[in-house]
Amino acid sequence: MSDRLSQRIESVAELLVHALELEHQSAECYRQLAQALAVHHNHAAAALFGLLADMSDARASAVMARAEGVSLPEIAPWDFKWPAAGSPQIDCDHVEISYLMTPLQALEVCLDKETLGREFYVLVASESPAAGVRVLAAEMAEERRERVELILTWIRGERGVATRVPEDLDPPNLPG
Amino acid sequence: MDAASVIPTLRAKDYKSDVVPVWCPGCGHFGVLSAVTKALAYLKLPKERVALISGIGCSARLPAYVGAYGFHGVHGRALPLAAGLKAARPDLTVLVAGGDGDGFSIGGNHFLHACRRNMDMAYIVMDNEVYGMTKGQASPTTRPDWAKSKLTPHGTGIRPFQPAAIALAAGASFIARGYSGDPGGLTRLIVEAIEHPGFGFLHVLSPCRTFRPEQSDWKHQVHRSDKGPTDDPAEAAHSIQADDGMTLGLLYARRLPVWQPDNRATATTADLEGAFVV
Repeated sequence: MSDRLSQRIESVAELLVHALELEHQSAECYRQLAQALAVHHNHAAAALFGLLADMSDARASAVMARAEGVSLPEIAPWDFKWPAAGSPQIDCDHVEISYLMTPLQALEVCLDKETLGREFYVLVASESPAAGVRVLAAEMAEERRERVELILTWIRGERGVATRVPEDLDPPNLPG
Repeated sequence: MDAASVIPTLRAKDYKSDVVPVWCPGCGHFGVLSAVTKALAYLKLPKERVALISGIGCSARLPAYVGAYGFHGVHGRALPLAAGLKAARPDLTVLVAGGDGDGFSIGGNHFLHACRRNMDMAYIVMDNEVYGMTKGQASPTTRPDWAKSKLTPHGTGIRPFQPAAIALAAGASFIARGYSGDPGGLTRLIVEAIEHPGFGFLHVLSPCRTFRPEQSDWKHQVHRSDKGPTDDPAEAAHSIQADDGMTLGLLYARRLPVWQPDNRATATTADLEGAFVV
């Protein structure tokens, strides 16, 4: 992720639309991973992503409640002011995603996504010219930090148990 | 930016079906599915006015995951099926989805003629340079030295198919390249391909996590074009031939006559029945 926003977010309404999109994409991405892993019989990792998807849905509802009474702008998918292509939520290609991923690896993906989401709010909080936007972005960054801390706690717990590598029931037909 | 309601008539997720994708976790095709639904939501197209047509392959499962009309056809025949549908129902927005094997090998001949026929539809090819559904064989776009398949342990030794250059040579009127890891940019290209009057060919780099894990590096290789699209085929030929195959954006767009048959009835059913009386 870039350390700069493509453009600065200048109003609370605009920030709320970005926050909504971030949480919706977050929920969608986690749910896709949960469903895809369940299809591949990796139920342990699927359960973790399912839990994160539910948490993102709850966050989206909270943002919607906060946006009540605010006239929100409609933004074309390609006009969002993310620091990188796509939203921070999908910018996790450098992390290995596999149908054989362990719960620990799944949590590391979640940690990466949540950290990128938090960094987005931190950037807005430091770069927006509007004081109200900076205050709200700082609040959202703090909420994201709490999620990051929660996942770090889970990671520490997972590191304390034996690695559970799923069995590959249908390996790729590649030379050894 | 115009102030308007944040809730459009339908959101992108409303264009998804209830069918759970069977793609591998991390598959690039998820990004294409997301971009297709976002494009439909952006264009506010009623679901019953959209049809997705596909052939065979991992990518060809896309119509099952979109809550519009869909047809999962036979291998390599997505384009003639779509052409038939568009000929009969020009009022529909027709999207065609497939992969590099389905579109450039089994359906390669149809690709050439769809380009020159220029019917009003969008063709999204999700290229991962491998046959994934059959567990990892070289496809038309595979590099000659890829030796990770048991069928081609020393590589194919054959230069890869060049989709953009061949589309241009075959007379395509719209050629663009997107990347599944750039959903915003890909959504925009899908919107443009749908809005283009004629055959909108969209070549999408969509990594295969399972059989081509090295494609995760595409994220660092793709780059935007440093110039806008051209409507000059000679200029487009030069830039596409000189390109590294990783340039994203609209590469070429030109207004050309759109082929659409005249559907006016020329005979009644009784006339036809009369012609078959023995």
